[in-house]
Amino acid sequence: MHVSANRETCTVSSLCVYRAPEVFDQDDEGQVVLLNAEPPPEQHEGVRDAVRSCPTRSLSIDYEVG
Amino acid sequence: MEIPEALRGLRKHSAVEVTLPSGDVALMVTRYKDVRSLFADHRLSRNISRRQRPDVARISADNELFADPNINPDPPDHIRVRGLVTRAFTARRIEALRPVAQQICDELLDQMEAGPRPVDLNEAFAFPLPIRVICRLLGVPAEDMDTFRYLVDGFLSVTKLPVEEVNQCREGLWKYLGDLIDAKRADPADDLVSGLIKARDDDNNRLSEHELRFWTQGLLIAGYVTTASQIGAGTAVLLHHRELVKEIQQDWSLIPTAVEELLRTQIMGSSVGTLRYAVEDIPLSDGSVVKKGTSVLLSEESANMDEDVFTDPFELDIRRTENHHMTFGAGLHYCAGAALARMELQVATKALLKRLPELRLAVPGEQLPRGLGGFTEGFTEIPVSW
Repeated sequence: MHVSANRETCTVSSLCVYRAPEVFDQDDEGQVVLLNAEPPPEQHEGVRDAVRSCPTRSLSIDYEVG
Repeated sequence: MEIPEALRGLRKHSAVEVTLPSGDVALMVTRYKDVRSLFADHRLSRNISRRQRPDVARISADNELFADPNINPDPPDHIRVRGLVTRAFTARRIEALRPVAQQICDELLDQMEAGPRPVDLNEAFAFPLPIRVICRLLGVPAEDMDTFRYLVDGFLSVTKLPVEEVNQCREGLWKYLGDLIDAKRADPADDLVSGLIKARDDDNNRLSEHELRFWTQGLLIAGYVTTASQIGAGTAVLLHHRELVKEIQQDWSLIPTAVEELLRTQIMGSSVGTLRYAVEDIPLSDGSVVKKGTSVLLSEESANMDEDVFTDPFELDIRRTENHHMTFGAGLHYCAGAALARMELQVATKALLKRLPELRLAVPGEQLPRGLGGFTEGFTEIPVSW
């Protein structure tokens, strides 16, 4: 899985940080910070949940292999 | 106590015409898909000032809340201001407030246990908690809470109070905030209002004096009544369904999904606050078109009951995991305080059901009085015993 995050459109809902804390963090202003663009399989479910919940669709899964 | 029957079948069409309390007509968008995408659509403007858009629908004839002519909350101004505010609502800062909320809950429950029964849950718990948390976050002194609450209740009245009293409250709140800002400017602290003042004083282009006051007001109000009403109404719904309370008490890890489900099926809300104005024609999912110049409401309640998105939407399922409800909106106007509200609701629900395991409604749920004619329509009184 390869994940990306768009800081330009991030509106600081914090949902991704709660759903996949190993993958997403926030800077001091609250904008999303991607910690790991290629998370291990056990974190995939949390990432998918975070992607679905983002209110500005600022997160995406670019591709999923294995 | 139940999800309103009026919400069934509403999504046959993408939008229905509704009459607002003012008598003006607006188009209400009903389907999840449309609501979610329109929340993020720049063709819908949040500038609903009659002075700038004379044909925009009014929410009520007397209350111009959300229609401040000096504020244009569309981008890019919205982004400039929002960034100053959201930094106070990061997950890290919210989690730092969790023990504060827990401590406030403990104190309120101490007082409840020492006092008479039945007691009104709103007065004893649901309203004091969020106002104390938001006062702490913003830096409002605790001794101002009662005055502040009276002014805000008046400010938020759509049809509940006489127009003279609403206006007095609006002016009183505006003056109160001016005084608060003066006090914080003279004696800054580590709080959000001091932070906003600093942003204003460091760079005149970042925030005008009017915006400084307007946004302080917006934060105070947004952080208070909505959360309070949801704590009260959500708890009342749980207590009405005793079996759900028992389920949670056997497994506290259900608290987050239960809180989300109570938010999805929220019965205290009202979508009049979503009023927007179409600056271009916008096509909807059933092929109809929102014409330029139309006033539009985005129905969170209807979207949250969309059969195409939620399995058995009219079932209250506290274990529901696929629950991306529209209660906090979507797009760049997504509720800035959502994470704060979630945290408070989780702490409050657990604290109440843990500390008072036998907590119950002291009157039948159907008899709880609703506060109609406000922007939130929670229960005005929730007598409980244990």
